[in-house]
Amino acid sequence: MQHTTKFTIAKIGAVALSGVVLAGLATPALANDADVIRRGSCAGNSDWKLKASPENNRIEVQGEVDSNVNGQTWKWRMRHNGQVSARGAATTSGPSGSFDVRRLMVDLSGTDRIGWRAKNPATGEVCRGSLRY
Amino acid sequence: MGTGTTSRAARPVWQQPVVQFVVVGLVVAVFLAWITGVLGERLAQEQAIDDARSTTTLLAETVVEPALSSGLLDTQAGDLDRFDRLVRSRVLRGEVVRVKVWDANGRIVYSDEPRLIDQMFPLDADQGDVLASGGSDAEVSDLSKSENTLDQELGRVLEVYSRVEAPNGEPLLFELYLSDNNLEARADELYRLFRPLTVGGLLLFLLLTTPLVWVLSRRADAAAADRERLLVMAAEASDAERRRVARDLHDGVVQDLAGTSFALSGMARDTLTTADLDRSALRRDLDRLATAVRRSLLGLRSLLVEIYPPNLEGVGLGAALQDLVANARESGMQVRLDVTGADELGADVTALIWRTAQECVRNAVRHGGPDHLEVTVGVDAAGRMATLTVTDDGAGFNVDASPSPDSFGLRGLRDLAREAGGTLTVRALPGDGATVRLEVPAS
Repeated sequence: MQHTTKFTIAKIGAVALSGVVLAGLATPALANDADVIRRGSCAGNSDWKLKASPENNRIEVQGEVDSNVNGQTWKWRMRHNGQVSARGAATTSGPSGSFDVRRLMVDLSGTDRIGWRAKNPATGEVCRGSLRY
Repeated sequence: MGTGTTSRAARPVWQQPVVQFVVVGLVVAVFLAWITGVLGERLAQEQAIDDARSTTTLLAETVVEPALSSGLLDTQAGDLDRFDRLVRSRVLRGEVVRVKVWDANGRIVYSDEPRLIDQMFPLDADQGDVLASGGSDAEVSDLSKSENTLDQELGRVLEVYSRVEAPNGEPLLFELYLSDNNLEARADELYRLFRPLTVGGLLLFLLLTTPLVWVLSRRADAAAADRERLLVMAAEASDAERRRVARDLHDGVVQDLAGTSFALSGMARDTLTTADLDRSALRRDLDRLATAVRRSLLGLRSLLVEIYPPNLEGVGLGAALQDLVANARESGMQVRLDVTGADELGADVTALIWRTAQECVRNAVRHGGPDHLEVTVGVDAAGRMATLTVTDDGAGFNVDASPSPDSFGLRGLRDLAREAGGTLTVRALPGDGATVRLEVPAS
């Protein structure tokens, strides 16, 4: 998504409306005019967050899982327009028992669809979210 | 021509040879500095291009080609993201400021400037050659080309192409843009390397040769001043010579001929008025007058020899000197003339010996009034040095006394001897005669 041309007030309104409809599963939030943020609950007790920001003609994508349990290893995957863009594993840490990963994606022409999936192999809990940018 | 001295006007600073030499040298040094800078920049650019080609080829083979995927060719977002992250972490470093991957149709498959991805631009001949034949090519980027519309902020860059192959064998063009911001620094580095050899060398040359040029210039000026002084002296000597000839004619031959004329007139009158003419007395008087006329003729001949030097090559130095001393002999002086080896002398040396002998004999006869005069010409055993010695036992003179304004002879001869590479020495004492000795190279 070219944020200079696509990000309009109407679209912000549409995103907010969809967030209201999907309340409880994914809660959209806006950090600033150019950022797109989605939050939601995973299949268990964990929460997830997905954020897309403009960064030097690219999209900086931040995926986050907050399980409130330290030391859990999660496998994660980011998709871009349906293609796997990045994948890996991360371990929760800190007081909140969370992890986050950041990756840059090429800002292609048209709307970019970004997906975020994380799975805890030990518990089988899955977090899944997406946004359009 | 009047006598006097002339002074050489001081030349303006810019006409002095040393100043001209230094100025020309500095101009050449500045030119060399400039040309060194130009060559340094050119060399630096060539080195930069060579380095850029090496860098591009290395990156193409070790980083880019292994990371190419069919998804990248199809503009698959995931493949693009992974390739982009690889390029940003391992290719876009240092001087590399732009990366493009082209397919054979002129489509930009990938660029670190996402707005260029999937754009189409015509490939030029060089790019086509690299795609077809491999290898690499480099040039200073032409930012006016349409493909570089988004590259204006990069400034002056080098474009380097190298061929890579996709996993399916499709040839692709890997293009790097390298900043030449360090080109100037590299040129400066080369300039600093060459400067000591060119500009420094020339300045050192100037430093070493300027004193030599200064010395040579001083010598040339001194030689020119000597020549000018000799010319003045020659002109003054000629003037004095004319005065002397007129005086000699008036005091000598003219007086003798006048006396002879009066005597003849008296005798003519006596032959008409005297009844008992004493023929024997008349004959004695006529013999005496004939002797006077012959003496006048001899005096005129000597004068002619003095006025117009004989053809030394034709008559020879010995015969010319015989004529020169004839007048002295006629006046009752004991003259000894000894000439040996004169035939081996060069024409200039012969003329110098003649001129010196003429001056010395004339001085001896006129001022010394000697009883004996000796003129000797010889050449040493090696045949290298010729010697003329003129000795008289006349009144002599004080060698250290200042010469009179009309006395140009010995002074001029000394200069002539020095010009010929020889020496002229004078030994004389008042009341004890004089000896003049000339030594010059024989040829």
